[in-house]
Amino acid sequence: MNLLAPWALWFGLVGAAVIALYLLKIKRQRQTVPSLEFWQALAGQVRARSLFQRLKRWVSLFLWLLIVTCLMLALGNPVLTLGKVKPRSIVVILDNSASMQTLEDAAQGITRLKQAVAALDEMLARRPVDDEWMLIDAARQARVLVSWTRDRRSVRDAARSVQPHLGSADLSAARELAADLLADKPEPTIVVLSDGAAGQVDLLAAKDSTLVHWAIGKADDNLGIALLRVRPHRQQAVHYAQIRVVNACSNEVSSQIVFELDGSTTAVEPFTIAGRGTWEKTVPVNRPQGGVLRAYIDRPDALAADNEAFAILEPLRPARVRLVCSPREAFFFEQALLAMEPLVDPEASHTLTLEEYERAGNAGEPADLTIFNNSAPKNLPASGAFIFVNAWPADLPARITGILEHPTISIARRDHPLTQYLSMNVATVTRAAEVLLTERATILADSNTGSPLIFLVQQPDRMSLCLAFDVLETDLPFRNAFPVLLRNAVVHLVSQQQAWVRDQYAIGEPIESLRSLPAGLEQVAAGRLEKNQQVRETTLDVRNGAFRYDDTAAAGPLRFRIGEETAYAAVTLNDENESRIAPTGARAAEDAERQLALSGRLFSTVPWVALATIAAALIGLEWLTYHFRWTE
Amino acid sequence: MSAPLFDKEYLKKLEYLELIARRLVFGRQQALRASVKKGASIEFKDFREYTPGDDPRTVDWSVYARLGNLVVKLFRQEEELDLWVLLDCSGSMNFGEPLKFDHARRIAGALAYIGMANMDSASVTPFAADLRPGRERARGRGRIFGLLDFLSGLSAEGETNLTAVARSFVARVRRPGLVVILSDFYGLQNAQRAIDQLRFFKHELFVIQVAAPWEFDPPIRGELRLVDTETRAHDDLTVTDGMLKRYRAAFEKLGADLRTYSLKYSIGHALARTAVPFDEFLVGVLQRGGLVA
Repeated sequence: MNLLAPWALWFGLVGAAVIALYLLKIKRQRQTVPSLEFWQALAGQVRARSLFQRLKRWVSLFLWLLIVTCLMLALGNPVLTLGKVKPRSIVVILDNSASMQTLEDAAQGITRLKQAVAALDEMLARRPVDDEWMLIDAARQARVLVSWTRDRRSVRDAARSVQPHLGSADLSAARELAADLLADKPEPTIVVLSDGAAGQVDLLAAKDSTLVHWAIGKADDNLGIALLRVRPHRQQAVHYAQIRVVNACSNEVSSQIVFELDGSTTAVEPFTIAGRGTWEKTVPVNRPQGGVLRAYIDRPDALAADNEAFAILEPLRPARVRLVCSPREAFFFEQALLAMEPLVDPEASHTLTLEEYERAGNAGEPADLTIFNNSAPKNLPASGAFIFVNAWPADLPARITGILEHPTISIARRDHPLTQYLSMNVATVTRAAEVLLTERATILADSNTGSPLIFLVQQPDRMSLCLAFDVLETDLPFRNAFPVLLRNAVVHLVSQQQAWVRDQYAIGEPIESLRSLPAGLEQVAAGRLEKNQQVRETTLDVRNGAFRYDDTAAAGPLRFRIGEETAYAAVTLNDENESRIAPTGARAAEDAERQLALSGRLFSTVPWVALATIAAALIGLEWLTYHFRWTE
Repeated sequence: MSAPLFDKEYLKKLEYLELIARRLVFGRQQALRASVKKGASIEFKDFREYTPGDDPRTVDWSVYARLGNLVVKLFRQEEELDLWVLLDCSGSMNFGEPLKFDHARRIAGALAYIGMANMDSASVTPFAADLRPGRERARGRGRIFGLLDFLSGLSAEGETNLTAVARSFVARVRRPGLVVILSDFYGLQNAQRAIDQLRFFKHELFVIQVAAPWEFDPPIRGELRLVDTETRAHDDLTVTDGMLKRYRAAFEKLGADLRTYSLKYSIGHALARTAVPFDEFLVGVLQRGGLVA
């Protein structure tokens, strides 16, 4: 047993005082009585009754010495461990993810986060006083709440003041931060107070021997929306909503999911999910003009945060395409674009030469996508979506270094939206430019020599898809690949270029404008879209042509008014790991206690509390014996 | 300075008590009491066979003439009634608030006054370990002042030995009388032996147990040194609630035993609480009867 506060031993002097008081002879009060024999006869009965009567006084002294000893040890804050406990440097990572908001005791409103704070309290109480502590709040980003300190109260207070985060947590980043901060510390220890984050903590613990996982939580009754994603199908003028629901518990569960569009129920999908299973479905949403889609599970469970999800349906507007090309080379492009209706608006699309394009300048008709075929402006426009075929401006980070004769073209990125449904294995390319990329770009197709033949350059406010060959020097115009590539480009580049903000954000993720705001715009109005479609707006200042919105702590749709335009974004959880709330981690709390060499318990509580309780009980017992001494 | 033991108020109460006593007791029984002894008087009581030495004047010659047997006539003897007040003057009486001794002296003075006024003689004899000199056979109410002076001069000290007192008393007083014992009667076994001795000598007895409120419910508790008022001996005791409970039971039993013993042998008994004024106590005693049988 080690005393964390050895100065308490001075309290032992009180014991000496107690002994002195008991050893001092009592000055008895004199009382005259008419007949002493009468009293002696009565006292004789008492004296003869038992030995205990004579020992009472010594029992009382013994009890008082026990009381003083218990109080002294309680003040000393003892730690019960085998062997000597070395002081450690301990970083506590408090998992503050959505799954930690799981209600473990619904009646008392006790969440896992509260249990984690209680576990921290216990840890602080049962570790030696020489330890150094640091507290990291692992929410969306790892954040040091309390830097190295021996002041346990500040650690405790900081843990209690942590605001619940309803989104995902980056425990890996928190561990890396902790490891960095422990680099030059003796006896480094990382304690992760977590429900296991669907096995993430176990993975971290496997890599790091200093990491101790203190498992929190037991509940596993949860159905959660792990994914709600909406993709527009511009060709069909419809959106498709993909939804995935996970069952965290081991029992089969049946329920239903309700879809609401702008506050009106549009569909109800019943489902049954096996234990630990997943249910997924894609449903069409016919609302070309766009809206806010809300999906929720009609069943209460331990974690409410993942019972609803939001997605934004962007308006499906046909793209306006501008083709900059000599008239005799425009035929294949125009045919392909006309075939894309309703993706492309033929009325708003037009073909012009490079001279006409440059003459018109900014006064020209607006376009969502501009295709330059075999001709390119001198300088890249400031913003917009572009396709450059066989020529691009000099300020694009791709330099032509030579000519490739009969290169073999192959798709380099199958997973990219631009290469969707695209096959070029048998395409013939007579000649292509050999390109050297001077900055990072996404290579979608390359030659057998590794030279990029189709690549995407993403710059702020600009997206440029470049083809390093003349289309007319290939057989692509006679293949499906050509209109498919154009279609993909229209769908992807236009949709990306049109958005001011992404359609979905994680909880806690700041929202910033995806492209530069119009010059002269100083403020942007932002607000959360309530259930009654009302919006309470706040004004955001525009700095360096961008804005930032931070109030994303809760899920829900947001609206941004940017000049004349309106943009929508949905803040939602969409994290399967958070929905799978069943605690993971083979190490029980007892193992963590052993690893941390926590003080043993005394009567199921921390030693000083137990000792103080014993002292109080002994005081009561002593009072009873004292009282009994006079009342027997 | 404490109030005098026998003041004018006391004397007024004596007159009042005497009137009550006359009405309640002596009005019925007259001052002269018929003696249980047979002797010379004009009232015939019985016959007895003649034995040599009998006064020939008492022979009933008419019986001899009819039956031929010598029988003598016996007559009821008329004698005086003596009141003896035995007053406990041991140290144990010097206790309580008011003092048991003072209370007992007031009662003794009153009884003596009633006796002197209505009977033939009244005596007050103090005792402790043995009889002490007293005022004996005072007659006439005019002697009351001397008696009260005598009572005032008494002090309570020393140990009690009621057996020795009884032995001395019967040795000195042969003629039966009414004996009133005023005491706290600690050590009842000895007291009973003493009373038995007095009964044996045909004395009519009346015992008055004097007790202070303290004795019924002593307001003490804790670690005490108890000091005996008679012997000044002491003992260190831890007085607990339990012990007090037993004490109260034992003290009640002391009074109950004395009362039971008195009833068994037709002895008058009364408990004189010092908290009750002596005149109220005596009125009660006189009303119940038994003081003068």
